[in-house]
Amino acid sequence: MNALETLRADAARLLGEGRAKVVIGYRTRGKKRAPVFITDAAGAGSLVYDAACRQNLAAYLRKPEVRTLLPAALVASPPVMRSLVLLAAESQIGEEDVVVLAVGPASEGSGEWRYHGALTLAETARLLKEKYALLAPRPELLDQIQSLAAVSVEERAAFWHEAFAQCTRCYACRAACPACYCTVCLVEKNVPQWISTAARPHGNYAWNLIRAFHAAGRCTGCEACEAACPQGIPLMLLNVLVAEEAAEAFGIKAGYDLDAEPLIGSWSADDEEDFIR
Amino acid sequence: MSPQADRTTGEKAAAGQPVGTAFEPRIVALVCTWCTYAGADLAGTSRLRYASNVRIVKVPCTGRIDPLFVLKAFEGGADGVLVSGCHPGDCHYTSGNYHARRRWAIFRRLLEFTGIDMRRLFFSWVSAAEGQKFADLVNDVVEKVRAAGPFERTNPARRRP
Amino acid sequence: MKIVDVDKLSDLAAALAAKGYRIVAPVRDGDVVRLKQWKRGECVVLDAFTVNSVKDVLIPPSEVIGRYALDGDDFTPEAVAAEAPKTVVLAARPCDAAAMAVLDAVFNWDFADTFYNARRAATTIAALACRQADEQCFCTSVGGAPDSTAGADIILRPADGGKRLTVEALGEKGEALVAAAGEVVQEGEAAADAVAEVPVRFDAAALAARLAENFESPLWQTLSLACLGCGACAYACPTCHCFDIQDEGTRRESVRLRNWDSCGFGLFTQHAGGHNPRPDQAARWRQRVMHKFLYFVERFGRLACSGCGRCARLCPAGMAMADSCAAIEAAAQKAAKR
Repeated sequence: MNALETLRADAARLLGEGRAKVVIGYRTRGKKRAPVFITDAAGAGSLVYDAACRQNLAAYLRKPEVRTLLPAALVASPPVMRSLVLLAAESQIGEEDVVVLAVGPASEGSGEWRYHGALTLAETARLLKEKYALLAPRPELLDQIQSLAAVSVEERAAFWHEAFAQCTRCYACRAACPACYCTVCLVEKNVPQWISTAARPHGNYAWNLIRAFHAAGRCTGCEACEAACPQGIPLMLLNVLVAEEAAEAFGIKAGYDLDAEPLIGSWSADDEEDFIR
Repeated sequence: MSPQADRTTGEKAAAGQPVGTAFEPRIVALVCTWCTYAGADLAGTSRLRYASNVRIVKVPCTGRIDPLFVLKAFEGGADGVLVSGCHPGDCHYTSGNYHARRRWAIFRRLLEFTGIDMRRLFFSWVSAAEGQKFADLVNDVVEKVRAAGPFERTNPARRRP
Repeated sequence: MKIVDVDKLSDLAAALAAKGYRIVAPVRDGDVVRLKQWKRGECVVLDAFTVNSVKDVLIPPSEVIGRYALDGDDFTPEAVAAEAPKTVVLAARPCDAAAMAVLDAVFNWDFADTFYNARRAATTIAALACRQADEQCFCTSVGGAPDSTAGADIILRPADGGKRLTVEALGEKGEALVAAAGEVVQEGEAAADAVAEVPVRFDAAALAARLAENFESPLWQTLSLACLGCGACAYACPTCHCFDIQDEGTRRESVRLRNWDSCGFGLFTQHAGGHNPRPDQAARWRQRVMHKFLYFVERFGRLACSGCGRCARLCPAGMAMADSCAAIEAAAQKAAKR
């Protein structure tokens, strides 16, 4: 059996044995892929996986309607696996809640993919450390960040003003992100209204920065937010900037360790402070 | 503080008030109660002179400072922001300043990357005994922000109704 | 007949701009095509699926509708006029043009919205008949067509293998625009190209009755499971019009804003006391579908959906209005057979 056939067989088996009440995976939808929720073993045949699968399915674990269907088996690529480990580290899910249908690239840069099997969270964390420890942001993102960092602050302000001007505050970025699971988002609090809800420069600036900040040390580089943004805003530039700082300054890469401490929320006596007088 | 003192040079001119040639930066200082605010108090009781451009916002601890506060200060029109608290190891609440330090390290990168000039954002540790340090710090901050000029036009966080 | 060469479209835009029109047209913006203000030198992209709709021109994502000076206990309202520059939307899709009838109805229902009406009056729509449709288009299922003239002041029809467009003015605004265009629009002959084929996917008329009968159906839970509750569909939709009023102020001044809102957000129906009458995404998705296909029909006699398919193209979770409608129809037919 090839990778897809094995994945489908595992999904059907888990449902048949009752080890999962729902399989959350991807289905074909024209040229794109969309999330699918399979509760009957016979439906496992509709599962697909390829590079066009851009959603981070771990985001569904925050939906109460999905939680009534736990345990869930989720099709998870390395960034999604990291999101699941992150959610466990943040006490949002436990071993009893998920089975990880782990998929990943067959070899560096190839379009082929392989199926690692139906794993526990602990096995997933181990797999990530063994095979996917060196996951890095796409070189194009790093290049673009470097180019922007090299120009004047006014030029950067102009770049982001233009980018954020397209933001309509649809919050698709927030909806698509598994790390955004607050039942009431900061932007929805109005006593006081900290962040303007209007799609105007100051509100958009505050929203996009605070979103990136709240994902600091928690973003697993799945890029689902940028894929979800209907306006094409380069959100990954902000996320990668913060993730690189988290890694370089504090040695933190999200989603590898079930017992990890959060970046913001923990501290070390040796944390950098060369910018503090 | 009267509305006239709140106004920038440009607003004064628009209101027909006499205008000096120097731009007077508006600085918001977010300071902790137990160290920096006490240090500022000491500067006052010691009769040390420091620039009156600073508006001090007292919080219990730098650990209370959400990066949003810095954003709101710029949103409201601050030309510069100073954030200051107890030295590491001296926090009245033991570790509030350690939490703050990490937040600042990350958030300043985001601000810098998206167009907030780092010549306008300052972080410091000022203890209750460092009245002179506080006065010198404020004077230095005001001069640096004065040199950077008014932020009004290029401030990406600025609320413009 | 009046015709214009497709490679003279920029000249047409320039001629209209010279006569004081603000031009809004589909232009490339990074990786997407956006309906936005056209600038000299930009290429107008035809047959594109823009990420946004003509709605943006009539109801901006955020607008100032009130302005107040505050001075202690004194409160002085200042007059706020609608920003309504003379505008032409060039190469709008017919589904977007047809959608405006929905907005016209809502914004003149029990109250004539001066801001909307000012912009509506100032806007001329030059719709372009579609040569291409994709699998998300479903205008023909909701009483529309790829060459519909509903809502358009001018209809442009592709001709001569896409090299030319025929120009037909439909009323005063259209004629004024053609006159303003001057020599770029010429007299001549051209053979109209075939229009896109858009298969009918469901029976919208029958759907209304089916929706009324199936309010409590468990199907809503299944249909909405993938929905993540963002506002992408509502904001991209040319007929969606719900808004939120926000006041933002300081000690000295305050503005009242009208901002886009979406019934997909949980906060949309959240009561101050904590209760939410649409507590889960199933209730919210049901509301979306029923508002467009039942409630609006009952109240205004028309569907609140023009079949443009943007919701389906842009949804990060693969949701689609047409899919839900087809699923409800299929379920009802299956139930009827038993």
